[in-house]
Parts: sequence; structure tokens; C-alpha cells
Amino acid sequence: MDQQSIFDAVQEIFRDNFDDEELVITRQTCAEDIEDWDSLEQINLLTAMEKKFGLKFKLDDVRGLENVGDLLDLIERLTA
Amino acid sequence: MGNVYLITGASSDVGCALIDRLYQPGDVFIAQGANDLKGLGVLCQKYPGAIRTYSVDLTSQQALDAFVQDVQANHPAPTHFIHLPALRVVNTKFKKFDEERFEQDLSVQVRSAVTLSKAFLPAMAKARYGRVLFMLTSYLLGMPPKNTAAYIMVKSALEGLAKSLAADYASFGVTVNCVAPSMMETKFLADTSDLIVQASAEANPMGRNATVEDVVPAMAFLLSEEARFITGVTLPITGGSAL
Repeated sequence: MDQQSIFDAVQEIFRDNFDDEELVITRQTCAEDIEDWDSLEQINLLTAMEKKFGLKFKLDDVRGLENVGDLLDLIERLTA
Repeated sequence: MGNVYLITGASSDVGCALIDRLYQPGDVFIAQGANDLKGLGVLCQKYPGAIRTYSVDLTSQQALDAFVQDVQANHPAPTHFIHLPALRVVNTKFKKFDEERFEQDLSVQVRSAVTLSKAFLPAMAKARYGRVLFMLTSYLLGMPPKNTAAYIMVKSALEGLAKSLAADYASFGVTVNCVAPSMMETKFLADTSDLIVQASAEANPMGRNATVEDVVPAMAFLLSEEARFITGVTLPITGGSAL
């Protein structure tokens, strides 16, 4: 999967998860930018991504994620 | 004669471990499962003749009624009724609430409990002895996690039934209780992300999730003769994660 397709899929997951069809994310988007993005939503986002990309994250994989960019890099690394 | 245990959802990890824990010579276990009765096969070999297995689809009222008739015709009246079945938890945003699955889970957990209680509790009352135990979840204690509306509603209904039955049957020596374990690492979690399982373990004050071995002894106690003055309670088995 190329970078753009991963980004588009992640964007879609964010929109779906936060019930906001207009939501636009960037690599810099972080939990402080989205009001409802708490630790539980973080897990919901990650499980949706596991399903979408056929991945299994470990807690250690996702602990240091600070923004969407980190998340995209992780998915890219695991799907490579 | 020993005890007669009617256990629904008996093929689950908890069901099998409970049978193994409770068994005394002379006991009879009427063990209902759906499809996968493999775990029970091992117990049937271990305790020859004691375990009568039934594969019953609890989403079908017809199948449930046939099960009741067969049990009433072929076994002594149950002294204990343990109700464990549930569909696996699916974490879903409320906007994607799946009515059809909700209905199925209502049938598997609640309608079946009503039918079986109606069929077997009157005989317990007549005998002036009975133990009933339902499997709930610690999600009912305090604020539930997000995205579990269907599961919470079904378990809440079951808790309501348990409390009502406790009130109705207390004077007949029949106790009705529930256990509410926190996340338990069993095959029930097959559809739950490892991340959720690991995060739950990390958030628990004891640093881990519940195991079957944590939960079954508490169930055995509530089913015992000694627990005769305890009814209508929901016992949290959570390592302190929910009170």
C-alpha cells in the first residue's frame, strides 16, 4: 500500500470514528487538536486500523505515538 | 442423590472449569453449549455418565423449548442453574448499532434465562432449595466503556432479572446471584483486539486481567450450601478495577 492510500484510509477512519465527515488530518494532527481524542478513542482508532490494514499492534508499538505522522509511519513500517 | 446442575454456556472456558471444580460423585451436569462442545468432551471422559451434553441454539425459542422438554422428561429437577451464555462483545460506535445482533444476544442471554427460570425455579421453590447464578460483567459497575451499548443493555436486563428472581424466591430457599468479572482472558475474547486486552491488563490495579481460576472459585462459593443467606448480589471479581 502506498503512502497516499494509507493516508486516505486513515483519514477515513478518523472521520468515521469522530463522526465528522469534514475532519481533515495532517501529519501534525495530535490528540490536542481533536476534542474527543482521549485514550479510549485512541484504542478505538487503533483497532479500526488493525482491521483496515490487517495488522496486530502491540501496546509497545503504540505507546510513543504523538501524532498522526507517527501513526502513519508505524502503519507503513508494519505493512511494508 | 447429588446435585443436579443445569449449566448454559457450559462449553465456555468458565463453564468447563466450573464443572471440573464442582463435580462430586453422584452429581449430574446438564450442560448446554452451541456448536463447540469440544471442551465438554474432555470432562465427559473424566467423569463418565455425569455430564449430559446438549447442543442448543439459544437464538431459537423452538430449540430452547425442546431442550426444556427433554431435560424435564429425562433428568431429575435441577438444584442449580448457572447461566453463562453470551455472544462475543463487538465494540461498535453507537451510530452503527446492530439491531439484529442485539436481538440475537437478547435471546441468547435474556430470553433463554427467562424461559429456563420459568421452567425450573418453581421446582426449586417446591423443594425449598435452589441456587441460581448469572454471569454479568464489571462493565455494569460505574460508567461503562464506550461502544458497548448492546452488551451493557443485555447484561443490565439480566441483572434486573436476577434481582427480581432473588426477591420472588428468597422465601423458598432459592438464592439468585451474579458474578461480574473484569476482562477475563478466555476464548470469549477472540474478537477483541490484543490492544484492548493489554490496555485493560495495564489499567488493572493488580496489573493483569482476570483468569478463569480467579472467577470459578467465587462462583462455586455462591453456589454452595454455605452461601445460603446471600441473594440478589452481584459480586465484582475485578482485582479492584471496578467497585
